[in-house]
Amino acid sequence: MTSAALEAATDIGETRRRADPVLVGLWIALVLVALIWIAPFVFMIFTSLKTNEAVMATGAFHPPPEFAWQNYSAAWERGRFDTTFWNSAIIAAVKVPLGLIVSAMGAYALARMQIPWGKAMLVVVLFGTMIPFQVMLAPLFTLVNGFGLIDTYPGVILPYIAFGVPYQVFILHSFFKNVPKELSEAALIDGASHFTIFRRIFLPISIPALAALFILDFVATWNEFAMALVLLQNQNMWTLPLGLMAFQGQFSNDYGQLNAAIVMTVLPATIVYLMFQRYFVSGLTSGAVKE
Amino acid sequence: MINTRRIIRIASAALLWSSATIGLATAQEITVWTLNFSNQQANEAMNKIASEFEAANPGTKVTIVTRGTDDHKTALRVAAGSDKGPDIYFSWAGLGLGGEYVKAGLSLPLDKYYTEYKWADGLVPSAVSFADLYPGGKHGVPYTFKGEALYYSKAAFEKAGITEEPKTYEELLAAAEKLKAAGIPAIAFGGKVNWHVMRLMDVILESKCGVEKHDQLMKMELKWSEEACATESFAEMDKWAKNYILTPFMGIDNNQAFNLFVAGRAAMMLEGDWLVGTLTSNNANLDDYSIFPFPTGTDRLYGFAEYYYVSTKSQHPDIAAKFLDYYLSTEVQQANLGQFSTTSVNKNVKYENLPEISEKWLKIFNDYGQVYMNGDQAFPLDVTTEYFRVINEVVSGNIPPEEAAKQLQTFIDSRAG
Amino acid sequence: MQLKRSLEDARFQGAVLLGPAVLIYCVFALYPLFDVVVMSFQRWNGLDPERAFAGLDNYRFIFTSDPVFWIALKNTVIWTVMCLIFPPLLGLLLALGLNQHLFGRGVLRAVYYLPVIIASIAVATMWRWMYDPFFGLFSQIMTNLGMASSIPDWLGDRTIALYSVFVAHLWHSVGFSMVLFLAGLQSVSQTLVEAARIDGAGRWGLFRHVTLPALRPTVTVVLVLSVINSLKAFDIVYGLTGGGPAQSTQMLALWAFTQAMQIFDYGRGGAISVVLLLITCAIVVPYLRWTQRQEEAAR
Repeated sequence: MTSAALEAATDIGETRRRADPVLVGLWIALVLVALIWIAPFVFMIFTSLKTNEAVMATGAFHPPPEFAWQNYSAAWERGRFDTTFWNSAIIAAVKVPLGLIVSAMGAYALARMQIPWGKAMLVVVLFGTMIPFQVMLAPLFTLVNGFGLIDTYPGVILPYIAFGVPYQVFILHSFFKNVPKELSEAALIDGASHFTIFRRIFLPISIPALAALFILDFVATWNEFAMALVLLQNQNMWTLPLGLMAFQGQFSNDYGQLNAAIVMTVLPATIVYLMFQRYFVSGLTSGAVKE
Repeated sequence: MINTRRIIRIASAALLWSSATIGLATAQEITVWTLNFSNQQANEAMNKIASEFEAANPGTKVTIVTRGTDDHKTALRVAAGSDKGPDIYFSWAGLGLGGEYVKAGLSLPLDKYYTEYKWADGLVPSAVSFADLYPGGKHGVPYTFKGEALYYSKAAFEKAGITEEPKTYEELLAAAEKLKAAGIPAIAFGGKVNWHVMRLMDVILESKCGVEKHDQLMKMELKWSEEACATESFAEMDKWAKNYILTPFMGIDNNQAFNLFVAGRAAMMLEGDWLVGTLTSNNANLDDYSIFPFPTGTDRLYGFAEYYYVSTKSQHPDIAAKFLDYYLSTEVQQANLGQFSTTSVNKNVKYENLPEISEKWLKIFNDYGQVYMNGDQAFPLDVTTEYFRVINEVVSGNIPPEEAAKQLQTFIDSRAG
Repeated sequence: MQLKRSLEDARFQGAVLLGPAVLIYCVFALYPLFDVVVMSFQRWNGLDPERAFAGLDNYRFIFTSDPVFWIALKNTVIWTVMCLIFPPLLGLLLALGLNQHLFGRGVLRAVYYLPVIIASIAVATMWRWMYDPFFGLFSQIMTNLGMASSIPDWLGDRTIALYSVFVAHLWHSVGFSMVLFLAGLQSVSQTLVEAARIDGAGRWGLFRHVTLPALRPTVTVVLVLSVINSLKAFDIVYGLTGGGPAQSTQMLALWAFTQAMQIFDYGRGGAISVVLLLITCAIVVPYLRWTQRQEEAAR
């Protein structure tokens, strides 16, 4: 193999040149797979720009014979996107940061403080990830109705946070546990409160994890359907996924509009991803852990 | 990073402000929960009717809330018992669906409104008959009345040399054979949506068992495993699946089957009168198709009714009834003819300039006085699920017909009741 | 003096830090969960004001008289095993690959992650269209390659239906593990990596002795979440096959949902959910303890 021969021939300093063929091969493989990976998207976007006849008449990856932009405006109206976009945006903007902070605080407490029955609590929290919440819809409705919170933002946000806590606490707990004890011990001896340690040390260290969770949670909240269906009855409070029901009539056939609606739904989540993904760049936090 | 106290302040402000979005209910506001219909015109027509009603009755507000079929069922079920449900809700009239709400005491008997608005006089008898299905009074008013029959492509029949519409089940089988000989799959179904293939089972049951036994089997008064006609019907399903249904069909839904039908890949479809609207909105040429009722040999039409029920939790039942009366009135029904259904539930409506296929539907509705319902509306829900499963097993060739009847009966017997 | 004050302070701090999470979780998640467990011992159709006590009837039914329960269990096991292997493995490979300094890696990362963003129902709609045996993408490709006669019924043939659904799920979910692994890879100490390189470690040695150990907590997280999520698999199966053909792709979570929200037998739905919960616990809790012991040993 070329790389082995090079390895034998070169010395330490030539590490970069030695890695090249492998990296190139890797790059090619990744790009090829990526093309296949993105195929359904291409299909979706093409379909969203075709009229119904064009959908039936042309092949899936055939570019639209003419751009049926009206699918988008028709979909916007039919799905009442002006209302549902706004509701989804508010709910996500409040829930995602709030939920993350709540979970991060809880994860810190469980990982770094002596909490009575802390280990048991962690298992109980993990429990929350295990039940398919679809079966909890009826009890959940009764509960939220009992609080008088049906058709309100808190009525949706609070259950969302409740169901986000388990996996977020679980992930952050594991990250926090691996922060060296010396870091926080030094600060504690100096008289810092846990709040300060949490804020000044732990949060900055876990930015990649927080960024990852932010993206994942935003997407989950943005796309959540079952709970919203049951907790939001007033059409003016509906979120985006509920608005998509307008395209799912029992005998519905309008693929062009449906795909246009899906494209419009996907856009904000994509933007959030692009905004936060740069925190995955290494170097931001290297050296902070395991010196 | 923000300090915790500020976070708490921001969060509580956000919560308080968002609580303020709880709308204030206007004095005379009613909500109608219904389906999002495939035919977009139906949805728009409903909204228009609501606005017209509001204009004619100042101080009222009618909100039509539409959802997908299963989502509507979920939302309705979860909210029905509480104070948060709708004033009027859509449901199919059969025992397994609308009947459940009536039995749970969630449907308001409308007898006094029937008298006041004289609905029994102005509505088509077979449509309004479903209001009498349940004890305790008249429940609900008809929204639409649907019939199901065999649609066929004239070209396909011609090519296969079929000159007359089959009048008996045997003639239908012979026609299917001719189609097969001509290389045309006789019929298209979407197996993924269980109720589509179930339709074939229903019509075969009617053909093989006759009126009384069919009804008794659906009411579970007779045992499926003991009635020969039940096993025979499953055997017929097996025959159709092996010879006449366009394959593969188990993985596609009814929409995909429809696409195949209009693409000319199959000769027939067992569908309802709403298909006329679907054909039109798909720009198919209506003259290429025609219909005939599935030849069961009985004088009942395969069909069902969709109803609007008034909830017992409604705060404004009088407004609700008035709105329903407006919907059922001759002017509204005439103005919206063809939007909700081929025929209107109001019998005083005049039909003009109908395409040929719609004329045929009209004749069918007039010819038949009685109806037998789709199986999934007749059975209770859990039996329906098992019914779907054994039908699918038979048409997939997985279990023999006798086995299907036995398994269904075992399930029925094991129900605690 | 100072110590005593910080101790009391610690308890207060603990309450403030842990309180909101625990409170919201207990009220809005744990309580409904508890209600589901209670319902599993009752008969209720959602409409009756009373919920009749039914003892163990629901459990007895699902274990002995339910024609679908065991199918669902078997499918859930197969599905979970597949979900434990493929998405995490692929996610790890992608994360490793895309952690290198490659041209356009930002774009590539976005491409692989993008499917995660789409709602499951939309993914199901897309893939159902692609799997259409007549007009769908795969069938068209096969027809163009001259293999029209061997086009399988992707979603209708019970021998392959589950795997067809899994492929769609794989496409949808690999980005999730990839993102978590990417985050985990950032905590691999660069100095250790340099040190290892200087010592002459090759690519594989680097991976085994530096990267993998540093990734251990992330691997645990990804595996545990994969198990849990796979056991809850629902949206994609519902959208693609609905559990069919003839309930052959039925899964426990979906069957529980069907019982509760379509057949409106909340008691049976509750019983199936409890069984699912117990199975999940039985897998996850021992695994967590095992990894905890490993971590403690490694310190």
